[in-house]
Amino acid sequence: MVTTDPTLLMERIDKPVGARRTSLDDSRGYRVFRVVNVVVLLGVVAVTLYPFVNIVAQSFSSELYIRTGQVNLVPRGFNLDTYKLVASDSAFWNSYLNTVVYTVTATAISIVLTTIYAYVLSKHRLKGRGLLVGIAVFTMFFNGGLIPNYVLVNGLGMTNTIWAIVLPNAISVFNLLVMKAFFESLPAELEEAAAIDGLNTYGILLRIVLPLSKAVLATMILFYAVANWNSWFQAFLYLDRADLFPVTVYLRNMIAGATSATSVGAVETNAVAISANIKAVTMVLTVLPIVAVYPFIQRYFVSGVMLGAVKQ
Amino acid sequence: MRTKWKRTLLTLVAGSLVVSVAACSEEGADPGSGVNLDGKKTASMADYKAGAQFKATEPVDVGVLYLDQSHYPIKDDWLLWKEITQRTNVTIKPTVVPYSDYDQKRGLLISSGDAPTIISKTYPGQEEQFVSSGAILPVSDYIDLMPHFKDKVERWKLQPELNTLRQEDGKFYVLPGMHEKVWQDYTLAFRTDELKRLNLEAPKDWDEVYTVLKAIKAANPDSYPLSDRFEAKSILNYAGQTFGTQAGWGYVRNTIWNESAQKYEFTGATPEYKELIEYFHKLVAEGLMDPESFTQKDDAAIQKFASGKSFAISSNAQNIVNDYRPNVSKIPGATVAKIPLPAGPKGNVIRGSRLESGLMVSAKAVESDKFVATMQFIDWLWYSDEAQEFTKWGVKGTTYDKDSSGKRTLKPEVAFGGMNVGAPKNLQRDFGFQGGVFYYGGATELLQSMFTEEEVAFQKTMADKKVEALPPPAPLNEDERERAALLESPLKDFVTQSTLQFILGQRDLSTWDAYVKELEAKGSNDLVELVNGAHKRYKEKNG
Repeated sequence: MVTTDPTLLMERIDKPVGARRTSLDDSRGYRVFRVVNVVVLLGVVAVTLYPFVNIVAQSFSSELYIRTGQVNLVPRGFNLDTYKLVASDSAFWNSYLNTVVYTVTATAISIVLTTIYAYVLSKHRLKGRGLLVGIAVFTMFFNGGLIPNYVLVNGLGMTNTIWAIVLPNAISVFNLLVMKAFFESLPAELEEAAAIDGLNTYGILLRIVLPLSKAVLATMILFYAVANWNSWFQAFLYLDRADLFPVTVYLRNMIAGATSATSVGAVETNAVAISANIKAVTMVLTVLPIVAVYPFIQRYFVSGVMLGAVKQ
Repeated sequence: MRTKWKRTLLTLVAGSLVVSVAACSEEGADPGSGVNLDGKKTASMADYKAGAQFKATEPVDVGVLYLDQSHYPIKDDWLLWKEITQRTNVTIKPTVVPYSDYDQKRGLLISSGDAPTIISKTYPGQEEQFVSSGAILPVSDYIDLMPHFKDKVERWKLQPELNTLRQEDGKFYVLPGMHEKVWQDYTLAFRTDELKRLNLEAPKDWDEVYTVLKAIKAANPDSYPLSDRFEAKSILNYAGQTFGTQAGWGYVRNTIWNESAQKYEFTGATPEYKELIEYFHKLVAEGLMDPESFTQKDDAAIQKFASGKSFAISSNAQNIVNDYRPNVSKIPGATVAKIPLPAGPKGNVIRGSRLESGLMVSAKAVESDKFVATMQFIDWLWYSDEAQEFTKWGVKGTTYDKDSSGKRTLKPEVAFGGMNVGAPKNLQRDFGFQGGVFYYGGATELLQSMFTEEEVAFQKTMADKKVEALPPPAPLNEDERERAALLESPLKDFVTQSTLQFILGQRDLSTWDAYVKELEAKGSNDLVELVNGAHKRYKEKNG
């Protein structure tokens, strides 16, 4: 167990380590900061990690232990039956597959559209650039509202198709602005040199700019993919068939059904509460891909969030 | 949090409703009461009457807004669909909406003008927000097309209940589910082994509940004998009716009918409401009721009950079987049972409506040439005895058998509830019967046909209770409804909040008069005046 007791940590740090006491890193104020920092961050880790570990532990536990509140960090009454049960539910895998298809398609569309838009906006010589930026930013603050949006999407014949999920909101204005700032930070001389060597605009974008933008692209992919994976509202609005639902709608319905089938005084003749471990298993399986992928793109993510923060 | 969010959305929906549907209502002329059905009788039966099997004379497709429950997700190959089409020549085209956000999508679809013909699973009262938009059919104009509906209203004397549905124009817009008798499901469940150990009788009224809890507390000083779930909204509801008031889940409106004074009063300021609060304050103050009962999650309450930290908890018939019995089984010798609903100061009474969640019909349906057939179909599927048995038990000979005495039993390979546990098929999940969209209400005999013996015995004790009279209709007009809406929510929130403070002792009951003054400052009198005015107007107009 890592000690989180600040006084202990202080003692350890206060002991002189060799002769290196001159650098800025070792100043007293900085050392105090480091201790506080470690303590606070450990607290944050505990607070964020506990619910997650708890759900994982629940997913391997038997219902009785969960109901009596005995499951914390370690599974009690270990069982894999629930995993088998959920894994044998075709509706779950069907919606899971839907989520994968929606996420991949939506992310691809979003990346292409955002890149094109951002690249155009990064060129200061473009006439009407301010207007194009304004149009995008406008949507951050104002939108048509729920019902007009629904009428629009329905009028375009997109309800009950994948397009209702992947096309509306394909461009996130926030991501657009981050990308625009990144492109602006690329040295113009590179592009000029490429132009002299005979590349046209598309060639410059595809062969020069994009290969240099892997960090921002990875970040954007992560942003879009996570957002699409987690999104449920559009699917809920525009899809009327259970076989089209993504896994988030499935999960949301399951959790809502389990907690409130018996409330509201509703007279359900046989409101079987979904057992707590089924809920846990479904949650674990739903977040699994994101959790699995995250560590690998995390380094891009860390560098990516700083992108465009400083302009040269 | 979630309800607040919902409310905001509903307000949004209602707001845009006025704009977006105004256009539609101008096109579709108001059918009025003298309805002309010429040209709308395609596929309908000329000689359809109560007791008849409806069968469309040519195939009909009907759209249904379908509420999808995660524990029996909709399947295309359900016997239910096949059998409905076979019997009625009608194919149901479901618009599937997850249970979790049903109300929101229903509002959206109605507001955008894209609602399917049948908008199912609508509780009486939920239709009000859509009435002024003209998007919902005033079904009361078309009751003559529905012989089974009329027959049940007549036989079960449901007219007074139906009248409570009437809007300001004297019409009603929702076809409710109908029960033969008032059905009280929720009451307290006790650890009966503990009662036995302490030589206690199951309490018959709320005073006895108090003494029993006190005795349990004496034997288990470290426990809270009662730690409730449902944020105590259930117990306040069922206790409230026996105190002659409405609270918890029952606190839907801020006004309550006073039979002796013949007028509406503000519920949260009545002496009956105060008495109820005093009672629960006493329980909490003496450590008999867990103060967390009002805030904790259901799971936490179940955990306390299952681990022997509490001995009483609110329950319906399913909670006992699903949540309590399996979980207390860890405690040796532990037994759980519902007690008959305790009587209160108002006597051995229950208050309740026999109306259930029902359905609305889209106003567009009336433009269809198959309108009459659609209404006949609705009448058969939701209101005929035959169809109610069908949607509950399935197909005779396939999912269940019926012996000469009328007793039904599921086929051995079909499981449901506590019946045929372990059988390969489930009546609900694999066949689609017992679904909340199609089956609810009905005759008492049918309702109880799947109850456990224990529950049937419980219901027998409930049948002796006196059912309180229903309040008379007081439908607000659009302008009044708008004003009332502004008053209702803040008042209700304040009452709920203060109720909690009084019960938990955070606010002293001696400040009751000040509390009533605060209610008045928030417009409680204006609201009561509005409702009484509407009641008077309705009475003058409709007698």
